[in-house]
Parts: sequence; structure tokens; C-alpha cells
Amino acid sequence: MHSFGHRANAVATFAVTILAAMCFAASFSDSFNSPTPTASVKILNINWFQKEANANDEVSMTLNISADLSSLFTWNTKQVFVFVAAEYETPQNALNQVSLWDGIIPSKEHAKFLIHTTNKYRFIDQGSNLKGKDFNLTMHWHIMPKTGKMFADKIVMTGYRLPEQYR
Amino acid sequence: MDWQGQKSAEMLMQVLLVASAVAAFLTGYAMADFQLMLLVYAGGVVLTALVTVPNWPFFNRHPLKWLDTPEADRHPRPQISSTTASTGGKKKTGKNK
Repeated sequence: MHSFGHRANAVATFAVTILAAMCFAASFSDSFNSPTPTASVKILNINWFQKEANANDEVSMTLNISADLSSLFTWNTKQVFVFVAAEYETPQNALNQVSLWDGIIPSKEHAKFLIHTTNKYRFIDQGSNLKGKDFNLTMHWHIMPKTGKMFADKIVMTGYRLPEQYR
Repeated sequence: MDWQGQKSAEMLMQVLLVASAVAAFLTGYAMADFQLMLLVYAGGVVLTALVTVPNWPFFNRHPLKWLDTPEADRHPRPQISSTTASTGGKKKTGKNK
């Protein structure tokens, strides 16, 4: 501490050390947040349902996605990535996940939304297992914090069923 | 900056930085504004640097009192005498085997 340079260096290094501790504390404060998100997805219409030339089933549907994810946001949240996946079981695989729609929620003000859309990504099965298939629509989200730990969770919505016949 | 000044500068630096960090975290958390926390803390760091980095007169109130030169000459530093050093350094070879 005997010279200008040494004191400047001491202030800078200690300040950055404390900044790291503050970021840790900010991340830790997230664990006191117990969110209560809600989500619901309605399938308004099966637009078409067919077997492709390579024998894979593909279905197009119109979805109504509504969710209130505002309780996921804390002061340390940068954005939330959210996607809706169709999940079903086939003889080959215990879990198939097909992402149908995704979005990035940049702020708490945009966290309550209702979206009317066809599936953004193609719903194709690896095979022809989709006729009369029961499936879940699951809303997954990943919370991206400004500093620290990332959180991920999901809401599973059950009771959806594809038609018995191609159309 | 004298010795007392260096000690108080270091103390002051640590106390000010920790205090501004606590204040920044509390305001940021209370206002739910991460950027506000960073701004408050940045202000605290600048303030701390201004207070503790320059050589303020405040840090020079305990100057060292050196002995006058005649006084120092009367009490010379003790020297290791060459005679004791040479005898003490002599090695005994293994005669009494």
C-alpha cells in the first residue's frame, strides 16, 4: 500500500473479488423463488395427417398455447426459453420428443401469452407409429439468469390423441 | 504515505468496498433491478478509489522520526568481528577415531 499503483491495484482486485461474491449471492437469491407457472395447450385442428414417401408419419396441427410464466422471472433473470414438445412412447423408444413450437421470453411483461399457431417445427415420427397414438404435450422451459445457476422445469399435459386414419 | 496512513488506507478500502457491496445488493434486490445493483456498486468502487488511492494529507499525519545523523554515529550497528568468525568457523577433522 506504499505507492499509488499498489493502492489502485488493491482496490481493483478486491472490488472484482467482491463483485464475484455479489453475483454468487444474486444467483443464490433465485433459490428462494418458488414459481407457480401455468400452461395449457389446445389442439384446435389436425390440419393433415399422412404417411410420407419414406414411410414416416407426419402430422400438422393448429395449436392454441397459453401460459403464464411470469412467476419464473426474478431480478436475476435475463430471459426464459420455452418450448412445447410432443412426447409419446413407441415400441422402439420409451420416450420420443418432438419439438413443435419454441420461443424466447425476454421479460416478465411478455411472460403471459396466448399464441395461436400451427406447429412451428414438423411433427414427424421415425416410422409409422402415430395412428391413434396417445401423446403428451409438455411445456419445457429453461431460465437463463444474468449470473449463476440455470434452472429448467416442465409442465406435462396429458390426454391428447391422434386420429385413427390419415387425412 | 506513512505507515499509519497505509494501514488506515487498507482498512478504509476494505470497509468501504464491503459496505458499498452490501448497500448495492440490498438496493438491487429491493428494487428487483440487477443493473441498479451494478451501478450502485460501481459508484462505491469509484468513491473508494478516490478516497484511498491518492496520497491525501490525511494519510501523512504520523511521519517517521528518524534519528539525527550524529546520534546514529554514536551508536554504530554491531559488527561481527573477524576473529570470532574465523575461530568459530574452523572445522575439526576426525583425529580421534
